[in-house]
Amino acid sequence: MDKKYCTYICTGCGIGEALNIEKVAEAAKEKGYDCKIHPCLCSEEGVEFLKKDVADGINALSIAACSRRVNFDIFRFDGCVVDRVSLREGVAWSHSREDFPAPTEEQADDETFVDNIQHLAEDYVRMGVARLEKITVPEPYKLENFNRNILVIGGGVTGLTAAVEAADAGYNVTVVEKEEKLGGYAAKMRKQIPMGDYTRGLVDPVVDTLIEKAQNNSKITIKTSTLVARIAGQPGDFTVTFKKPGEKIEFDVPMAVPEEQRYDEKGNPLDVDQIREIYDKINEGRADVLTIDPNGEPFAGVVLAAGWRPAEIDAEKYAHLGVGSKDVITNHQFEELAAQGKITRPSDGKPAKNVVFIQSPGMDEGDADFEYAGSVTSMVALKQAKYVRDDYADGKAYVIYQHMRTPGLMEDFYKEIQQDRGIFLTKGAVTQVAENADALAVSAEGTLLGNDVTIKADLVVLAAGMVPATKDDPVVNLAYRQGPGFRDIGIFDGYADSNFICFPYETQRTGVYSAGAVRRSMTIEESTEDARGAALKAIQAIESANRGTAVHPRSGDMTFPDFFFQRCTQCKRCTEECPFGALDDDEKGTPKPNPTRCRRCGTCMGACPERIIGFADYNIDSIGSMVKSIWVPSDWDFDPPPLRILGLVCENDALPALDMAALHKKSIHPYVRIIPVRCLGSVNVVWIKDALSQGMDGVFMLGCKHGDDYQCHFVKGSELMDVRTYKMGETLMSLGLEEERVEQFEVAIDDYDKVSDMINGFVEKIESLGPNPFKGF
Amino acid sequence: MSEKYMVEPDLQFIDDVMGLGGESLKKCFQCATCSVACPIAPENKPFPRKEMIAASWGLKDKLVGNGDIWLCHNCGDCSTLCPRGAKPGDVLAALRSYAITEYAKPKAIGKMVNDPKKFWTLTAVPAVIFALLAIMTIFGGNFMAGIFGGELWYHTPDGNPYAGIAASNFISSWFVDLIFVPLAIFVVTVFALGLKNFIADMHKNALLEGKTSKDKIDVKEFLLALKNVVPKIAKHKQFTQCGENRERSTAHMMVLFSFIGLFIVTSVVFVGVYFLHQGTPYSQLNPIKWLANVSGVALLIGGALMVKQRLDKKEDQVSSYKDWYLLGLVLTIGGTGMLTEMSRLAGSAFFCYTFYYVHLISVFHLFAYLPYSKMAHIVYRTVAMTYAEYGERK
Repeated sequence: MDKKYCTYICTGCGIGEALNIEKVAEAAKEKGYDCKIHPCLCSEEGVEFLKKDVADGINALSIAACSRRVNFDIFRFDGCVVDRVSLREGVAWSHSREDFPAPTEEQADDETFVDNIQHLAEDYVRMGVARLEKITVPEPYKLENFNRNILVIGGGVTGLTAAVEAADAGYNVTVVEKEEKLGGYAAKMRKQIPMGDYTRGLVDPVVDTLIEKAQNNSKITIKTSTLVARIAGQPGDFTVTFKKPGEKIEFDVPMAVPEEQRYDEKGNPLDVDQIREIYDKINEGRADVLTIDPNGEPFAGVVLAAGWRPAEIDAEKYAHLGVGSKDVITNHQFEELAAQGKITRPSDGKPAKNVVFIQSPGMDEGDADFEYAGSVTSMVALKQAKYVRDDYADGKAYVIYQHMRTPGLMEDFYKEIQQDRGIFLTKGAVTQVAENADALAVSAEGTLLGNDVTIKADLVVLAAGMVPATKDDPVVNLAYRQGPGFRDIGIFDGYADSNFICFPYETQRTGVYSAGAVRRSMTIEESTEDARGAALKAIQAIESANRGTAVHPRSGDMTFPDFFFQRCTQCKRCTEECPFGALDDDEKGTPKPNPTRCRRCGTCMGACPERIIGFADYNIDSIGSMVKSIWVPSDWDFDPPPLRILGLVCENDALPALDMAALHKKSIHPYVRIIPVRCLGSVNVVWIKDALSQGMDGVFMLGCKHGDDYQCHFVKGSELMDVRTYKMGETLMSLGLEEERVEQFEVAIDDYDKVSDMINGFVEKIESLGPNPFKGF
Repeated sequence: MSEKYMVEPDLQFIDDVMGLGGESLKKCFQCATCSVACPIAPENKPFPRKEMIAASWGLKDKLVGNGDIWLCHNCGDCSTLCPRGAKPGDVLAALRSYAITEYAKPKAIGKMVNDPKKFWTLTAVPAVIFALLAIMTIFGGNFMAGIFGGELWYHTPDGNPYAGIAASNFISSWFVDLIFVPLAIFVVTVFALGLKNFIADMHKNALLEGKTSKDKIDVKEFLLALKNVVPKIAKHKQFTQCGENRERSTAHMMVLFSFIGLFIVTSVVFVGVYFLHQGTPYSQLNPIKWLANVSGVALLIGGALMVKQRLDKKEDQVSSYKDWYLLGLVLTIGGTGMLTEMSRLAGSAFFCYTFYYVHLISVFHLFAYLPYSKMAHIVYRTVAMTYAEYGERK
């Protein structure tokens, strides 16, 4: 691309008052490019001004005005590369001239006077130009083969709803169900809890009409008694192999090497070749992930609605609950009984008129519920209590709970059940279920009745939770090098979820969207709504793949990682670290990118020690050049020289927090130079080395929280960077630099009131360490 | 408190209490707002939350002999503040009504008293009795006077029937008292039997729930406690602590004191008639007559106020048959009493006797059915308050 550069400085919004614009323009012109000044670039007249220049041939624009997070739609010009230099949020607003006074007339002529704000602005425009030199206009990645078919795994309420919704939107859908019949669990129930109007008590299961709707839809193909053996390829171009349950076929998906087999006897990690050997061994007889099944069916996106199975209640762990006795059963077994007819005791077939529903195990478990129990099990207990009352006029149903969860308007359902004169609810801890001659005796303590109570019961029902299908089995069986399922990051208990609030339906695999009980335990109503969402997400992913753009969270991003394979050392770090399993590798270990699986976070770029991965507008060189264009004064220039500190800032949470801090006029120290990055996972340590070796005094990273409450948009970015920073420390020590010069902070988007203190504290620490000894070399 | 309590819900009990004005009891979701709101609940084991839970679980054994239901004065603060509309105040009123029926033997009468369909059957009893007695008085007066002597029969110094309109000319005082004196003995007996069980149950319940400082009941101490309670009742101390329903205090006080006034009048007249041959009616200048008139008017005003308050609070308070029955009775007694007197003074024998006839029927209702109706609270609440005082319920 033949570039014609120009920097445009906007003097509106307080920028002009805070800075000596002429001098800023001089900095922009240092490389011989043009620079123009305008009082308000985002005005109609300002945009016309820019458009005219673009028409005259300018195609690399550095807009030195407001943050890149605002007016991005205004400063978008086809065929041009645009950089946004944040003079407003990054300089004028975050560095008030009240705190950092402008030079007086005398000072302005004094060569020894340091105007930190002016230096900051000049550095930023230099960095803008440096970046423009290293980036190009992205071209979208287009798949060679593209289809629009949607695969729905699971033929229950969720799967069928997703299928009907997607078909109504015009897509061809195939539903696979492992059992012989459609309907899933919902088809096996006596009644279901109400939908919509929660005051109307129990209703007949709605699944039958749904099955009919799906079967009569010409766009929906239904395959019962079918499993997914493997899903190979990438969104927009998946090849799916089906099989019958129990079958073993060549295209069964290869398994990943389990964590425990990745170490030798002494506990040292095996190298990549040894792991590959084990991988090949455990997957003998199975076609490799890169081999495409010639008989496979083409799909573009997947909705995972594999549902759940009832949890088992451990007889040993809950011995005090009489587990093992015939008349102590789970809610699932109770539902089966109820579906057959009147409720009777399994032991002797007599009517079960006194039924105790135990929601929490009590004893050593404190107030915890059974595993995988939640609001649904609460509401199921209420529903099943009503069965007892429906079957017997003198029936009595007791519910002993630690938590009774009836979210939202489900309160109406709770009220309805509670007001049945034969249903008795109490919080309490069950201490024992004893088997007497003709009945069970349930004892509980800490009940609402004020004392320890014993209840005579014909039948005891335990609230077994809903275990997501993905807990036992990958289900999706993706032919990905990282393994067939979603990576277990240790916080989702087997649920196919990513991050609760930000990305519903999303999994760690692009193009695969989960819905219903596989995501969290849900009622039929919630599953129905969830299925719609997941179907829409699948459609969105397919259409994004078609346009060659990224899906959420970088929706519309047309870049994708580009590999310079000649220099690849097959270290597999990118393959391993990619949070979305986008990279497979061939037998030699060379990565094989699957661009439509990619979410463009740049983790591969941050991981690559050879620095051969980059994006059109974001690469090692573009950021590296920005770092290098920062002017680092030495004691030749000023005595003492002002420090220079680099901040690599995640653009998802940390940058908005900084912008908000600026809006609130919170000052950050003017020694700091901020460079936004896509994710801390994309930060390559070479940038840090560059910064320190050119004399900068410290580097900090601002990223998202990681751990149990992680907020990283790309799952592990900030965590990976933490590891890299830690490793970096050793290198620094060997160079004679303090490891404290590099630090990482966690910040959430709403931490705008804390972020400036965080940064200023770091600056103070660097000041106490003194300047970088390499300065001036 | 650690001993296990066997929970045995009684569905019939729940139905019965719901039918007695506690229809909202299952709505309780145990938030305890009621116990916090109640201005008279003690700090230790406050009511009415525990009663609400026990009621919604159908735990009759925890409620019928529970003294706390009587400490409640149904001021309605709890019902107004209840977030669930469970109306604890009305549930406790229903429980009291249930407890009255439970203790007053034979239970069959209690059931009839609380059953609106049996109202006319119950009314027919005094109606027939007094009709017969009227016939006997009117047609057999001379015959009786012949046997007993006019002085004794008519209670007049000259031994002749009272000249002019007089109640005793319609139904002889002898006949009236022949009915009411045994009735009073019956009522006292029923109460005595009921109270015996009630006090025993209340004590047992208090021991179980840790609400008393006494192990055994000392009769003398117990009676001494009554001395502290009576002034409290007289001053309506509990009522005045209410936030919601304070104005009811005045009305209730008027009714209570007018009953006391009328009781005094009746006692004086009884003594006058049988020991001093002082027949009725009394002169309007007689202080006893003043008391009777003032009491009668106060009864009417108090009763009317209570009706008005119940009608005003239709939303917040349940008014069931048991409430209207008693209020109706109070107003009828007061009304017919005053009307009897006024029509007598106006010289209309027909109206005077008709009103008197109705008056006697309603008084019979009040007395005969006293141990079974809501009116029995006068005894049970007094005893429960005395027990609370004695057992140092705090």
